[in-house]
Amino acid sequence: MYRRLKDDLFVLFAFASALLAILPIFHILFSVFYNGIPVLAKYGVEFLSGTLPPPNKAGGGVFPAIYGSLTMIVLSLMLGIPLGVFAGVFIAEYPSSSISKAARTVLVIILEFPTILVGLFVMAVMVIPMGRFSAIAGAFALTIVMLPYVATYTEQAIRSVPQHYKEVGFALGLNRFRIVFSITLRIAKKVFITGLLIGMAKVSGETAPLIFTAGNVWRSTGALNEPAGAIPLWIYYLVQQPYSNYHEIAWGAAVVLLAIFLVIFLSARLMVRS
Amino acid sequence: MKNLVAVGLIVAIACLFLGCLAQEKAEVQKSVKIYGSGASFPAPQIENWIHEFSKANPNIAVEYASKGSGAGINDFKQKLVHFACSDPPVKESEWRELQNIGKPIQFPVVVGAVVVVYSVPIEDLKLDGTTLARIFMGEVEYWDDETIRSLNPGVNLSHEKIWVVHRSDSSGTTEIFTSYLSLVSDEFGKKVGAGKLVDWPVDKLGRGLGGKGNEGVSAILRQTPYSIAYVELAYAIREKLRTARIMNADGYFVKADAETIGSAIAASSSLVPDPREGYREDVKMFLNAKGKDSYPIVAFSHVLLWESYPTKEEAEAIKTFWKWALTEGRKHMVEGYVPIPESVASIALKAIDGIRGG
Amino acid sequence: MDKFKIFLFPFVSAVFGVLILMLAVFVLNSVSIFQREGLAIYTTNVWIASENPEEEYYGILAATYGTLYTSLIALIIVLPIAIGFSVFIVDFVPEKFKEAFIIPTDIMAGMPTILFGIWGVFYLVPAISGFADFMYKNFSFIPLFSYYNPTGFSYLAAGMLLSIMVLPFASSLIREAYRAVPEVYREAALSLGLTRFEVARILLGYIKPSILASTLLAFGRAVGETVAVSLVIGNAFNINPSLFAPGYTISSLLANQFGNAFVYEYMPSALFSAGLALFAIGLVVNVAGLIVLRRWTHV
Repeated sequence: MYRRLKDDLFVLFAFASALLAILPIFHILFSVFYNGIPVLAKYGVEFLSGTLPPPNKAGGGVFPAIYGSLTMIVLSLMLGIPLGVFAGVFIAEYPSSSISKAARTVLVIILEFPTILVGLFVMAVMVIPMGRFSAIAGAFALTIVMLPYVATYTEQAIRSVPQHYKEVGFALGLNRFRIVFSITLRIAKKVFITGLLIGMAKVSGETAPLIFTAGNVWRSTGALNEPAGAIPLWIYYLVQQPYSNYHEIAWGAAVVLLAIFLVIFLSARLMVRS
Repeated sequence: MKNLVAVGLIVAIACLFLGCLAQEKAEVQKSVKIYGSGASFPAPQIENWIHEFSKANPNIAVEYASKGSGAGINDFKQKLVHFACSDPPVKESEWRELQNIGKPIQFPVVVGAVVVVYSVPIEDLKLDGTTLARIFMGEVEYWDDETIRSLNPGVNLSHEKIWVVHRSDSSGTTEIFTSYLSLVSDEFGKKVGAGKLVDWPVDKLGRGLGGKGNEGVSAILRQTPYSIAYVELAYAIREKLRTARIMNADGYFVKADAETIGSAIAASSSLVPDPREGYREDVKMFLNAKGKDSYPIVAFSHVLLWESYPTKEEAEAIKTFWKWALTEGRKHMVEGYVPIPESVASIALKAIDGIRGG
Repeated sequence: MDKFKIFLFPFVSAVFGVLILMLAVFVLNSVSIFQREGLAIYTTNVWIASENPEEEYYGILAATYGTLYTSLIALIIVLPIAIGFSVFIVDFVPEKFKEAFIIPTDIMAGMPTILFGIWGVFYLVPAISGFADFMYKNFSFIPLFSYYNPTGFSYLAAGMLLSIMVLPFASSLIREAYRAVPEVYREAALSLGLTRFEVARILLGYIKPSILASTLLAFGRAVGETVAVSLVIGNAFNINPSLFAPGYTISSLLANQFGNAFVYEYMPSALFSAGLALFAIGLVVNVAGLIVLRRWTHV
C-alpha cells in the first residue's frame, strides 16, 4: 500500500517536472508574440525601415538595429568560418598530435568563456586603439564566440566519415586538401552545415559581447569602421528606458529576433532530419 | 560539388552585401555623423532636439546614447564620441586630464530641477531643507513626526514609517540632490556628503531602498506606500507623481515649474565661467537661490566638446547642431525643461564659434 | 610535416592565440589593482569611485557572492525538475512523441538570452514582487524572506531566470545518460516486481556521475550569463541571505560599470580583476564537470 502511494507520488512528480520544464518556454514564446505582433501590426512596414523615434512619439522602427545585426553576422561568418573550419580540419585530421589535443581543450574553454569577457577583451585590444566603437569590433567579438562551435562541428563532421572513403581518395591520387573538402566534408555536410547554423544562431542572439564593442546607434547606419546597432542590443537598452513606446519597440524587436532565430533553428533541424 | 556551390553562393551573397555597404557609404559620404553619449537627465530633451534637427538638416546624423554622466565622460576622454553630456560640471582634476588630450570646452545646454516625490495620500506636502536632510539620513522615522507636522499644520498625517527611496547607480541627479542637502544641512554634509554615489545611512536602518535610474526609483515609489524619493522634474511630470513644495532661501514654499526654475537662474549669466574654463563652474551656484519665487534644487545640464576635431566636416556638423539647439531648439522644449537664459546662451554660442576642424 | 598540415597550422594556432591574448589582457590589466589593494579586491564589499585616485577603493565581494548565490538558487530549482523531466520523457512518453517534448527544450537552449531578459523584466519580476510582499508579511522571521523589497528585482528573480535558461543543458545530459542505461538493468529490476519509482531510483543511482557532471556544467553556464541577469538582479552592492534582496553578479557588474570605468584611475583594473575571478570560477566548475563526465564515459 505504502509502496503504491510512493509510486503514484513519483509519477505525479515526473509529470509535474515535465510541466514545469516545458511551461516557461511556452510562456516566453507566447508573451513575445503576444506583445510583439500587435506592435508590428501597429507600426507597419515602418517598423523595419524606420529609426528610433523620440520618447513618447508614435512611429519609428528598428532599421539601424537590423542593418547592424546583419552586417556583423555576415562579417563574423566571413571571419569565423575559415578560421573555425580550418582549425577543426586540423584537429580532425591529426587527432593524435599534441597540438590537436590541446586545441580541443582550448576550444572548450573558449566555448564556456563568459561572453561579456570577450566584449571587454575586444574593447581593450580593438576599440580603444581604433578610437571608435565599430561594426568590425562587434563582429570580431562575435567571431570569437562562434569559433568553438564551428571548429567542433567541423571536427565531428570529418570524424563521422568512415576511413575507407578517404582511402578511396588517396587511391585516386587526390591530395589531402581535395580529400577533406571535396570528399569528407561533402559526405558529412549535414553535420557540418548544422554546425555553421548553430554558430550563426548563437551569434545572431548575442548581446553581452556587443555592449562595449559595437557601440550602438539609433538613427543612422554606417560603414564597417563606424558604430553599429544590433537587435539584441536595442532590446537590452530599450527595456531599461522608462518610455512606453520604447517598450513597445523592444517587444517588436524581440519578435524580429525570435523569428530570425527560429528560421535558423528550423533549418538546422531540417538539415539533421533529411 | 553541390556543397561548393552552396559555399560559393554564401560568399557571393556576402560580397554583394558588403558591396552594397561600400556603395551606400559612397552615396552618403556627403552626410556627416556625430556621436554623443552621457547623462540621462537631459536625454528626453536631446532626443527631441535630434528629432527636430534632423528634419531641417537631413545631411547631419546625430546619435546620442544615454548611459550616465560617468560613461559619457569616459567615452569623451577616449575620443569614442564627439560630445558628452554631464549634469554636474566636470571636476577640476578631470578637466586637467582632458587638457592632457586636447582642449575641452563646456557649457550649459538645458536647465532642469530635482523634485521630491512621495506616496502618501496628501495633496500638498510642504518640506524644508533641514527636514528633508533629516528624512534622507533616517533621523525622522515617522510621517507624523513633530517636524513634518509643524510644516504642514492641519494636514492629517498618519503614524507610518517613512521609506526612503534613492538611486542605486552613479547619477548626476544624486549629486545635485546631495549637494543641496549638504548646503542646507551641515550634519548631512558631514555624515553623508555630496556625490554621484553616496552611502545612505538610512539603508543601514533598514528603511532605505535603492532603485536603478529614474525608472527604478519611481517604480519603487509607486509600489511602496509611505515612501519618499527624488527624481528629475521632467520625469515626475511624465509619470504624474506627487511633488512636494520645498522651502526656498527666502522662506517661501515653492513647486518646481518653468517660472520658479527661471527665477532661480535669473542671476546665472554672471556665474557661468568661460566655457574654456568649465571646471570653475560649481554645481552649488544655483542651489537654494535667493528670490521668493525661486525653486531651490535647480541645475544646469552641460555638454562637453573639443575645441578642435580631426576633420572640417565633423567640426561644422557639431557647430551646426549645437548652435541650432541653443537657438531654434529653444522652441522645441520638452515639458519639465527650461531653456538656458539668452545671456548664457550667447556665451556658449561664442565658444561654439571657436571650434575648428582639420 | 606535410604541406596540408603547414597550411592548416596558422588557423589552429589562432585558436591558441585568442585564448592566450585574452588571458594576457585580463592579467596585465589586473596588475595595478593587485599592487594597490592586494587580495582585498576579492574579500571586501566596497565600491568607492572618486575622481581623486587617492580615495578610490574597490572590492567585488558582493558581486562574487551574488554570482554564486544566484547560480545556486538556479541549481536547486533545476536539478529536481531536470531529473523528473528526464524520467518522464524516457519512461512515460511513447517513442513517437518524445521529440515533441525535446524540441521545446532545444529551442530554449539556443534562444537569444535577451529574450529571457525582456520576459524576466515584464513578467517574472512583477510576479516575484507580489510573492515577496506576501512572504515578507507572513514569514519575515525566516532569514530567507527577511528583506523588504517591494520591487521584485532580486537574487530570486535572477536565480529563477537562470534556472529556466540552464534547464535544457542539465536535462539533456541527464536524459541521454538515463536513456543509455542498458535495457537489461531495467528489465531485471522490473522482473523483480519493483514499482516504477523503485526502478527509477535504482537507475538514477546508476547515472549519479552524469547527474553530478550536468550539475557542474549547468552551474558553469549560470555563472557566465550576463544580460538577462543584469536586467533582473537589481544591481545593488549588497550581501544578504534573503532571496528577495537585490544584489549584483560579476557579469552584471561588468555590464553596468565598465562603460564608465575609464573616468576613474583604478576602476578598469578592478573590473578586469573581477573578470579574471569570473573566468576562474567558470573554469574550475567546467573543468570539474568535464572530468567527471569523461571519467564516467570512459568506464
